Amino acid sequence: MAEKKESYAQAMEKLENIVSAVEKDELDIDQLSVKLKEAQKLVRFCKDKLYKADEEIKKIMEGEDN
Amino acid sequence: MEKAPLSLYELNALVKRALNESLPEAYWIQAELSDVRSNTTGHCYLEFIQKDQRSNNLIAKARGTIWANVFRMLKPYFEESTGQAFVSGIKVMVQVTVEFHELYGYSLTVIDIDPTYTLGDMARKRREILKQLEEEGVLTLNKELEMPMLVQRIAVISSASAAGYGDFCRQLEENPYGFMFYPHLFPALMQGNQVEESIITALNEVNNRRDDFDAVVIIRGGGATSDLSGFDTYLLAANCAQFPLPIITGIGHERDDTVLDSVAHTRVKTPTAAAQFLITHMHEAAESLEELAQTLIVSVSARMDKEHSRLADLTNRLPMVIKNRTIREGYLLEQLMQRMHVAIARNLTNRKHRLMLLEQRVNDASPERLLKRGYSLTFKEGKAVTDSAQLKPGDMITTRLAKGEVISEVK
Repeated sequence: MAEKKESYAQAMEKLENIVSAVEKDELDIDQLSVKLKEAQKLVRFCKDKLYKADEEIKKIMEGEDN
Repeated sequence: MEKAPLSLYELNALVKRALNESLPEAYWIQAELSDVRSNTTGHCYLEFIQKDQRSNNLIAKARGTIWANVFRMLKPYFEESTGQAFVSGIKVMVQVTVEFHELYGYSLTVIDIDPTYTLGDMARKRREILKQLEEEGVLTLNKELEMPMLVQRIAVISSASAAGYGDFCRQLEENPYGFMFYPHLFPALMQGNQVEESIITALNEVNNRRDDFDAVVIIRGGGATSDLSGFDTYLLAANCAQFPLPIITGIGHERDDTVLDSVAHTRVKTPTAAAQFLITHMHEAAESLEELAQTLIVSVSARMDKEHSRLADLTNRLPMVIKNRTIREGYLLEQLMQRMHVAIARNLTNRKHRLMLLEQRVNDASPERLLKRGYSLTFKEGKAVTDSAQLKPGDMITTRLAKGEVISEVK
């Protein structure tokens, strides 16, 4: 679970890096579309964390009760 | 003085009268409460004690009474102002009248109380605890923990039945953004004299599963009576300060911070405020994600625009570049041709010159020139004579001169 907690922060960090690379013109056009796809995946991952129920976490929470 | 002895009652009556006469007023006294009891009639019986500050030995003691009609008002007034239950062990400032009863003896009847003195004493105790934690270097440890970006898995320490816990969960559940939260209750007593022990036990349970949680929330519904003394203890504060997860407190009170609040990572007033804090924290995370995603879109399209205009620019420049290039190539070609003409002409001149020299040399070597200079050629029967041995007397020879021939006979 500690890993999961990290991965949101990691995803955000990756996203930051991509955005700043785009801003600084560090990517050529071929890379751009690849990175953009990666960024979209990261955003989706982060949003899922925020808004979607994580069954695994639920299970862990409830499991310890019984 | 009369010799006739007094009955005990008479003596006690005298004492009573003497006390009444010499101590007729009500007095404000400061003392510690001990052995506080109240019975079904609503009266409160207790003892006031005073200890020596250094040795802690008892140096004064008096029985006290608070009659029901006074106690009914005094107790809630005191507890609401101080956040401290009216129990043994605390220091109070009370207004008392001095009583003496023939049967029950000396006692003090409480008629008023000043909670500010107790507040001052509690504040002093809190300061002492905080100072001790500071000296031990643990005071700010929990505050120094970084609150994770997402605080979703929440260990809640509260009493299950408390309204505050229900409010907290409902507020999280119904947050307007649709964020996911996973609260999990670790039940603890939040009132009475077992608060300290009970919360520490709950903290230990959370600690055993600390990887399952992002933060701890300690909440308590704001009941009518608010006994907060359990949150002002050294042991609880030391546990919280050194706890590995950030602790958020919302223990429902208006007065100054408890020691627990002082060491917690984040302190809010009520359980609903704690829920609001968590929602706001998530909202901030969501906003920075949104912002980042927006920036990405903007900067990618800016980048694409830039590439487009670069391409357009190149396309525009291309014909001109080609034209320039063609002109330059033509010029180079012309230059080359010119150089070739020059080279060919020079070459031809050289050859002509050499030919002339050769011609000269050929001319110089011709027999006519020799003949003109006086040399002659001798032939015998058409063949050139180069040796006198070829001839014998009587031979006829022909001598060719530059101009004409002479025929002679050899002698």
